[in-house]
Amino acid sequence: MSANPISFAFSCIFVIFAHSAMLVNVFINGSYESLTPVITLAAAVLFLDIAYFVIIPFFRQSSYTVDFLLLLILNMSVIFQSCFGGVRLSVKHYITVIAALAACRAGYLLCRNYKWIQRQRKYFYIGIGLLFIIILTLTGSRRMWISLGSITIQPSEFIKPLFILVCATSVTAQQKKHKILCFNVVYENLALWGLTAMICLLQWWCRDLGSLPTFLGIYISGFLFRICYPKAKLSKKTFILAGIVLLAAALAAMKFAPAYVQERLHVDIWSDTNGNGYQQSRALIGIANGGWFGKGPGNGYLCNIFAHDNDIVFATVCEEWGLLYALMMICVILIMLAIPLINPPRSYYHGTIAAGVCAAFTVQMALNIFGSCNMIPFTGVTIPFISSGGSSMMASGFMIGMLVAAQSPIFKESAPKQKKVKSMRRLAQ
Amino acid sequence: MNTLNLILCAVAAATLDICALVLILTAYSERRSCKKRWDKLTGTMELAEQSMTYPLVCDEILIGRHASADIRLPDISVSRYHAMLTVSNGVWVITDIGSKSGVFVNGNLIKQAVLRENDTINIGVRRLIFRRRSDSYVR
Amino acid sequence: MKSIRRCQHIISLFILIFIAGMAGLVFKLQHESPFYMMNSDNHELGRVYDRHGEILFNGSSDGNWADEYGDNYFIDIGNLIGDDKGQMTNTLVARNIEKLNNYSFSGGLVSDGGKSAIYTTLDHKANRAVYDSFLGNKGCAVAYNYKTGEILVCTSLPSIDVTKGYGNIDALESGTLISKTMYRTVPGSTQKVSTVIAALEIMGAEKLFSKSFNCSGKYINKSGDTIDCHEFYGHGTLTIQQAVEKSCNPFFAQLIEDGDLPLSKLKKIYKRLGYAVNDDKINYIDIDGIKCESASTTLTDPNDFQTQWGCLGQGDTLVSPIQLMMWQSAIANGTGKMTMPYLIDEVTNVRGKITERAETTFSDRLFSEETSDTIRQILLTNGANNYTYAISGYTIGVKSGTAQVDEGKKENSLLTGFVDDPMMPVAFCVLLEDRNSTSLKAEQIVKVMLDALSSK
Repeated sequence: MSANPISFAFSCIFVIFAHSAMLVNVFINGSYESLTPVITLAAAVLFLDIAYFVIIPFFRQSSYTVDFLLLLILNMSVIFQSCFGGVRLSVKHYITVIAALAACRAGYLLCRNYKWIQRQRKYFYIGIGLLFIIILTLTGSRRMWISLGSITIQPSEFIKPLFILVCATSVTAQQKKHKILCFNVVYENLALWGLTAMICLLQWWCRDLGSLPTFLGIYISGFLFRICYPKAKLSKKTFILAGIVLLAAALAAMKFAPAYVQERLHVDIWSDTNGNGYQQSRALIGIANGGWFGKGPGNGYLCNIFAHDNDIVFATVCEEWGLLYALMMICVILIMLAIPLINPPRSYYHGTIAAGVCAAFTVQMALNIFGSCNMIPFTGVTIPFISSGGSSMMASGFMIGMLVAAQSPIFKESAPKQKKVKSMRRLAQ
Repeated sequence: MNTLNLILCAVAAATLDICALVLILTAYSERRSCKKRWDKLTGTMELAEQSMTYPLVCDEILIGRHASADIRLPDISVSRYHAMLTVSNGVWVITDIGSKSGVFVNGNLIKQAVLRENDTINIGVRRLIFRRRSDSYVR
Repeated sequence: MKSIRRCQHIISLFILIFIAGMAGLVFKLQHESPFYMMNSDNHELGRVYDRHGEILFNGSSDGNWADEYGDNYFIDIGNLIGDDKGQMTNTLVARNIEKLNNYSFSGGLVSDGGKSAIYTTLDHKANRAVYDSFLGNKGCAVAYNYKTGEILVCTSLPSIDVTKGYGNIDALESGTLISKTMYRTVPGSTQKVSTVIAALEIMGAEKLFSKSFNCSGKYINKSGDTIDCHEFYGHGTLTIQQAVEKSCNPFFAQLIEDGDLPLSKLKKIYKRLGYAVNDDKINYIDIDGIKCESASTTLTDPNDFQTQWGCLGQGDTLVSPIQLMMWQSAIANGTGKMTMPYLIDEVTNVRGKITERAETTFSDRLFSEETSDTIRQILLTNGANNYTYAISGYTIGVKSGTAQVDEGKKENSLLTGFVDDPMMPVAFCVLLEDRNSTSLKAEQIVKVMLDALSSK
């Protein structure tokens, strides 16, 4: 059981409250013909709430906040998705939500003992390699999707959590330096650098430039952790210089990008509202139409637009629930990412994981939201947990699982190591 | 949309707000319990110098002259990255990570050693005492 | 510990950057949402009022708002105010449709009682009177306050009552859907004002007044072409004052040929006045988003027939009535700076809060104050000598013009000028098309216009 039974109980109650308030809103403002779908939806949401609250104490975590937030956002997303264009339980989304919760548990169990998972690093490289092969062979030419009947899987989504695990590092690992020529080099960093380059190349080749910034974001967070431990002191000047070089590289990349990228970078959506700017212009009109308080669940018209439930989902939520609610939804995700600020992780490895997850989530949300609102080029990435899509949902769930692990770590060495420590103690005496 | 519906929207939003707030409060209360758990796991130890004390609150602690070291000893006799303190199963271990002047525990030059309460660690000219945190008795 | 704090710093960095982006997004949405809404299929438009609060346009969907008014009540401003149907693009409503949007981000679309409106500077009553005074003849009239820039009258015939729809749009007479005040036309002798300004700027008043040329009804210029005068028997020897009053073509042709008026300097002055000389790109005057053409002419050689006619107001010269009127303001002001005209006095948003208020602005200096004074005196003398009877009761400076169009088949009558009265600072320009088909005179229209404006 939790160490704080009172706060556990309170959290349960308030999560259920929040969902109930939403359901009442659906009941009164929503557009539906019969009551059945509303009741089904309410039952499904509340059942999932209670079931999860019953299950999680068995995991004996020291912290449950992230779990509560995850459940809060996931069931919010079930309600959102079920209301697009009329209230009915979106069974597909409900199943992916359960899958995400399961993935979260798996992520927690895998990552809670960092010393163990750190030794499994080679398997992550192998995993990423396998996914590479899958993308290169199984997906259609230059696409990121594998179609299996009615289900499509996006393997590149699964690279994200693995990549975070590869990027995560402990201080000890950073001290295992080797001398090559006159540089002190950590082999692992070289491997990581190579891997990042490969991922970039792959994304470029697949023309999936949407998830490229996500990987770069994760890598930047990993990189920032690593540069703290070279022998020589890094001055601020070096930092600024590196920043300028990066900026120049980004600008050059924009300038020499292939034509189809250029086309996406310079789109005046209002002069082409039925062509390239179709989705974005509709999205913006939808947000304007919704205002602060929205049109009411199921009353929007954005649900007739292609990709209303993933690429421009922010606008769809804005239209039906209002900008205020959509902002709070984003806020809940941000609180989830910011929990490590309140309750700091106890090991560097978990800290790097938390930062990696935070980078992945914020970059994805930024790409989706700002992209659909025409602040940056429009790319087809998803908002974690809000957009529909099983692959993204499971990958995001797994990442949050890693965050949970960072909150409730276990510090245990495996048995043979323990003996070694004892023998060393004898040595020291 | 009439006023009632508007109020309802506001109520739903407010409930979500309160829920988020409660969860943040939960996070704070869990932070306390996590700290307790950590203290129990690691034995509330600290490193003490004459005037300074360094509580040991995470599982890898880097001692050195470098700015990025967790315990920074700005003395020329200390290497940039001198030694590392790690904990597992409630036992603190000090490891020399390639220092120039070596690490001495209770006067013995060691490569790696398990630390016990009131051990003296000499790093360069600096002398640190590994001891139980005094405030832990108070609590 | 530092390492853990580093994790937290990086997490906060990412979150802060994201929140900053979100704040930018919310600001952008708040700011631009009326624009988004205008691109939507459903929108609610507000109203347009004249300076006395009389309604000129109502965009809200509450039925036929114009029914209570008489037939063709709004026809005089039809092609100036326009509507949101998209048939006319260069009208006040079409260009400022965002300002009429009865929408706010917090309130959504307001179909009932939205207060977004444009308060124009027009005087509908006067405008209507001027429209009626055309007696169905084609043409246009525009007048504004040359001290403040408020456009008081702006009408163009033929026009259309947009409240009644467009009917068979192909059957409409040409020029129905545009306000002719904003498009270039042959200026006739009103062009001579520009030429006198140029001459004054280059020579100075003393030298110009000392010059006199002979007119015998015909003038054979240096390249052998004939410049006709409208007075068959000629005007005899004229000074500049007389030449302006008589509007004598041979006098001006000789003035252009005069060595004291080099063409390069003339071009420079013309360009400063706003002409697109030769192959220049035409300039536009922006009046609250409405695009108005300025002027254009061809100047190649001072002895050339075409260039001379250009300076007389025929040939390739084209000037919009609005531009003619604006030059009058630079003269009437005595500063050589045009008062920039505007139509929108105030804009209110959906809650009735004033979001925009017009301010008087002036152009760059077109010509010196001395020039301004001199030409002002010339025009006032002309007005006193020739128009006291036709336009009685006002001290006006005025220049008339007769423009041959359709290769000489038709003659348009123009009259541009200003009232020299601090209580009634009005500059105007009237264009009456095909003057030979009617007994109406441009002076009569001006008289009606000034009477209507002074009786406020």
